[in-house]
Amino acid sequence: LYNRAVALFTIFTTDIGPMRHIAPVSVFYFIKEFNIPLHVMLRKRYLLILIVSLISLKSFGRETISGYVRDAATGEALIAANVIIEELGTGTATNEYGYYALSLEPGDYSLIFSYVGYSTIYRSITLREGMVLNMELSELLHELEEVTISSTQNNSNITGLETGSTSLSIQSIRKIPAFLGEVDVIKAIQLLPGVQVTSEGSSGFSVRGGGRDQNMILLDEAAVYNASHLMGFFSIFNNDAIKDVKLYKGDIPASSGGRLASLLDIRTKEGNSKQFSGSGGIGTIASRLTLEGPIVEDKVSFLLAGRRTYADLFVFFSKDEDVRNTRLYFWDLNGKINYRINDNNRIYLSAYSGKDTYANKEYAGMGFGNRTLTLGWNHIFNNNLFSNFTLVNSHYFYDLGTPEDAEEYFNWKSNLNDYGLKGDFSWYPSPEHTFRFGVSTTYHIIKPGEITANSTGGINQSFELSHNHSLESGLYFSGESKLGQKFALRYGLRYSMFNNIGPATIPVFNDNYRLVDTIKYEKGDFFNFYHGLEPRLAANYMLSNLHSLKASYSRTRQYLQLASNSAAGTPLEIWFPASPNIEPQISDQVSAGYFRNFLENKLQSSVELYYKKMNNSIDFRDHAQLMLNPRLDGEIRIGEATSYGAEFYLKYASGGFSGWISYTLSKTMRTFAEINEGNPYPAPYDRPNDLAIVLSYDITPRFGLAVNWIYSTGLPFTLPSGRYEVGNNILPLYTGRNMYRLPDYHRLDLSITFRGKEKPEKRWRGEWNLSLYNAYARKNTWTINFVPDEAQPDVRRAEMTYLFTIIPAITYNFKF
Amino acid sequence: MRLRYTYRCCFILITVLLLASACTEKIDIELDSTYARLVVEGAVTTDSINHYVLLSVTSNYFSNRPSPKVQDAIVELTFGNETMQLIENGTIPGRYETPSAFRGVIGTTYELDISQLDVNQDGEEEQYHASSTMTGGAELEKIELKYYPTSFVSGYTVFMYLYHAEEIREWFGFKLTKNSDILTDSLYKYSVLSDEIFDSGYLPGLPVGFLSDDDPREALLPGDTLTFELNCIEEAYFNFVGDAQTEIAGYYPLFSGPPSNVVSNIDNGAMGIFAAYSIQRISVVLP
Repeated sequence: LYNRAVALFTIFTTDIGPMRHIAPVSVFYFIKEFNIPLHVMLRKRYLLILIVSLISLKSFGRETISGYVRDAATGEALIAANVIIEELGTGTATNEYGYYALSLEPGDYSLIFSYVGYSTIYRSITLREGMVLNMELSELLHELEEVTISSTQNNSNITGLETGSTSLSIQSIRKIPAFLGEVDVIKAIQLLPGVQVTSEGSSGFSVRGGGRDQNMILLDEAAVYNASHLMGFFSIFNNDAIKDVKLYKGDIPASSGGRLASLLDIRTKEGNSKQFSGSGGIGTIASRLTLEGPIVEDKVSFLLAGRRTYADLFVFFSKDEDVRNTRLYFWDLNGKINYRINDNNRIYLSAYSGKDTYANKEYAGMGFGNRTLTLGWNHIFNNNLFSNFTLVNSHYFYDLGTPEDAEEYFNWKSNLNDYGLKGDFSWYPSPEHTFRFGVSTTYHIIKPGEITANSTGGINQSFELSHNHSLESGLYFSGESKLGQKFALRYGLRYSMFNNIGPATIPVFNDNYRLVDTIKYEKGDFFNFYHGLEPRLAANYMLSNLHSLKASYSRTRQYLQLASNSAAGTPLEIWFPASPNIEPQISDQVSAGYFRNFLENKLQSSVELYYKKMNNSIDFRDHAQLMLNPRLDGEIRIGEATSYGAEFYLKYASGGFSGWISYTLSKTMRTFAEINEGNPYPAPYDRPNDLAIVLSYDITPRFGLAVNWIYSTGLPFTLPSGRYEVGNNILPLYTGRNMYRLPDYHRLDLSITFRGKEKPEKRWRGEWNLSLYNAYARKNTWTINFVPDEAQPDVRRAEMTYLFTIIPAITYNFKF
Repeated sequence: MRLRYTYRCCFILITVLLLASACTEKIDIELDSTYARLVVEGAVTTDSINHYVLLSVTSNYFSNRPSPKVQDAIVELTFGNETMQLIENGTIPGRYETPSAFRGVIGTTYELDISQLDVNQDGEEEQYHASSTMTGGAELEKIELKYYPTSFVSGYTVFMYLYHAEEIREWFGFKLTKNSDILTDSLYKYSVLSDEIFDSGYLPGLPVGFLSDDDPREALLPGDTLTFELNCIEEAYFNFVGDAQTEIAGYYPLFSGPPSNVVSNIDNGAMGIFAAYSIQRISVVLP
C-alpha cells in the first residue's frame, strides 16, 4: 500500500521539491504494483503518466537556475530575452513575464543574457543546487558597470520554432510615421507580411485571408472586441502604456484559441519600479500622459496612462449653436499595479477603459467603448515550474439615441461581457524541453440590442433581443523539444469546448431559411455543446546558425463571430455565438518557411508559404438585416474558404538605420452554395499584392527621418454589368460578387523627428515630430458609387469617394 | 417608421462626422456587359383603373438610352377561374393594360403569365410567371399633421391611426400626395413598414412621413391638401422595396454589405416585381 501511495504521489508531483529524484521510478512501480503491462500503459491513458515520468528522468540529477530578466532602468520584465549557456550552445528565452529557467547538470557555466537594443551580459556561475539569478539589462547608450560585451542582434528568428509570428517593439512602432501623429500599434501591424488593412483608415485587419473578426486581440490577456477609436482611424492602444506586441499569424500557441486567423498579444508595462517617471505627448488631435513609478521600490509599482482628443474643446468658441452643441471625442485610460510579493509570487491588476462619444446635445448621439480588467498571479512552484493564473473581464458596449429629455426619446444599447478564468503552467525540465499546459474558461454574455422609447403611436416602446449566454473552455498541453543541435519540435493539443446556456429562444428554420418554429430554453439549461481537438505542430531544422527551414500545422476553432458584412465596420456591430443553427468555424493551416540572416544577424530575411482551408465559414445572404434582428441566424450562410500565399520579409536594424520590407502574394476565395450562384468569389479582403516599405534613419542622435511606402492591389468590389428601370428608379444588375477591384492603393508617409539635447543633469527629454500622411496626396478610392450625370439624368456615371489626401501633423513628445 | 427615422438620424450623424474629410471625384471605369433579361413592373390594386404591366429589358449600365421595351408579348392575368389577357397600349410601348373598370379583390391571388417573347434573343421563346396575393386586413382610421419647428429641421410629421389584425403578419406601404403632386413618385421615396414592431392591433398615431419646410415640393402651406395612401402589401414586395432602396442609396464600406441583385418574384431570371395590394386613402386640408 505504501509503495502504491508513493507511486501515485510521485506521479502527480513529479519534479516537485525533494520528490523529484524518485519520480522516474514511479512508472516501474505502476507496472509492478498494479500489474499493468507496459503495452497497455503505452496505449491507454497511462501514456501521459509514462511520458511525464520519462521526462522527469531527463531532469534526474539536474539543478535549476532560474530568475527574471528585467530592464535595469525601469524594472520592467523583458519578454523573449535570450539566456544562452555558452558551453552547451543552447538556452532558453524569457516568457511573457520575463521568467526563465534552465535545468542543468551541476557544474560551472557561462550564461549570456541578451535582448535586442540592450547590452549583452556574460555571467559565470557555479551550479551546485537550485539557484535564482535575476538579471537586469541596460538599454544601449547606458553602459553597465558589469562586463558589457556588446549589443548583438540575436538570431532567434532562425532558432525559434515560431512560423508566421512577428514581434514588434514599441520603440520600432514609434518610429513609423503616424496618421495625425498618433502612434498606433494596429497601424504598425498592418504593415507586416500577411496582414492586410480591411479599408483605408480602418483599425480592422485581415490575416492570411481571415475576416476582421477572426483575430484574437488580447490586452494583458483580456479580449478586446473592438479595438478602434473614431470609426477605426485610431486604435484603442496608447503606445506609452504598451511594452510588447506580438502577432501570431499561423502557428498560434495551444494556450490560445477562439479565433481562426491570428492572435495579437499586447502587453502593457508593469510600471517603473525604480523611480517615478513620466511620458506623454501633445499632438494635433490628441494629447496623452503616462505616469509610472514605485509605490514601494522594487516591490510595488504603478502605471497610469491617459489620452484624450480635444477637437471638441474648440467648438465652444463657435458662433453656430449646432456646432457648439456637438461633441466628438474619445478618451482612454490604462492603469496597472504590479506587486512583487517575493521571488516566487507576483500579482498584478491591469485595467483599461475607453470611450468614443459623438453627439449633438439637441438631437442624437452615440457612444461606444471597451473596458478590460485582468487580475493576475505569477507563482513559481519550484524553480522550473512557473505558473500564471488570471481572472479577466472584457466589456464592450455601445448606445445611441436621442437626449433623455427629448420629446421622442429613443435609446438603443448593446453590450458584451466576458468573465474568464485561466491557469497556465510552464515547466522547464531541461534546456532541451519546455512544456506548457493549462486550462481556461470564459463565460460570454452578449446583449445584442435593447430599445427603449417613449413614443406613442403603436410602436413597441421597448423591446429587447434575447441575450446570448455561453461558456467557452479549453484545455491544452504543448511542448518544445530540441532534438539534437539542429532539429526542434513544438507540439501541442488544445481541446476546446463550447456550451450555449439558457435562457434562450432559438429559431428553427427550414431549408429555405423560413422560420418554422422557435425553441425556448430555461435559465441555466446547457442546451448545445460543441467541442473539438485543435492540434498544433511546428518544426525547425537549422541548416546553420544563419539559416533554417521551418514548417507548421495548426487547427483552430472559432465559436464567436461578428455580425458584419461591411469592409470597414462600425461600432454598432454585434458578436454572436455558435448555436444549434451555426456550427463553429474551423481552420486548418499549413505553412513552411526559409529563414536566412545576413550581416551578423543585422539583416534578417524570410520567405513563408501558407495554405489555409476554412470550413463552416460564415457569410450573409444578399441584403442581410444584421441589426436588431431576432432571427439573425436566418441571415447566415455557411460555406468554405481557402487562402494561400507567399510572404517575403526583409528586416534590417543596425546603428541608426532600421526598417523592413514586406511583400505578400496571396489569394483568398470563398465558396457558398447560396451566394454568387454557388460560384467561388474573392474574399472581401483579398489583395493579391501587398507591399510595405518601412524605413527609419537617425542621421544624428538628435535628428531622425522615417518613411513608409505602401502599395496593394485594390480591394475586391462588386459593380453592375447592367441596369434596369423600376418605379422611376434605375436599379443595378450584378453578374457576380467581388468580380471587380478598386484601383490599386498606394501611399507615402514621411516624418522627421528633432530631439532635444540630452543632458545628464536633466531628466526631461523632449522631441518634435512632424509627419505627412499620404505625402504625395494620392486619392485612394474608398468606395465607388454611381450618380446621375448632370447633363443627362438618365445616364449614370461612376464617382469615387476618397477619404484623405495629404495630412500634416505635429506632435511634441516628452519623457522625464 | 419613427425608429427608422431615428436610426437614419444617428447614421447620418456618424456619416457626416466620418465623411467630413471625404471627397468625391468622377472616375472612369469599364464595366462588363451582360445578356438582356426581362424586367417586369406591374401591379393590381383595389382601385378601378387601367392596371398595367410594363415590360422592358435590361441594358448595359452606362447605356444612355431608355430601357428597350418589350412589344407584342402575351400578358395574361389569372385570378380564380378567370384569365384575362392584357392589351398592349398603342401609344406607350411595353405597357400591357387591363380594362379601366378592373379592380382587384382582397384575398385573391393574381397569377401573371408572360409569353411570346425572346428577350435573350437565342431564337427560343421564353415564358415567365409571377404570383401575388392581395392583402388588406388593416383599417385606416385617420391621419394627423403635427408641426415640428427645430433648428435642425422643421416641417410637418404625418401620424397615422390604424386598426390592424394582430394575429397575422402584415406589411404596409405609404404614399403621400400634396394637392395633385405625388410626392412619393419613385421607388426610393416609397415608405414600407412591417408590423413586427407594433404593440397591439391599434396604432394610435404612428409617424409615417415627414414633409420638410426646406423642400419646396414638400413644404405645406395653409389650404394645401395632403392625401395619404395606405397600401397593404405582401412580404415579397416589402423586401423588394427595401432592397431596391439599399441599392439606390449607394455603398459605403462602413455600413454596407456587398451590393447584390434585388430579388424579384418573377421566375425564369427576370427582374422587377409584380404586386397585388389594397389601397385606402385619407385627405386632410391644412387650415
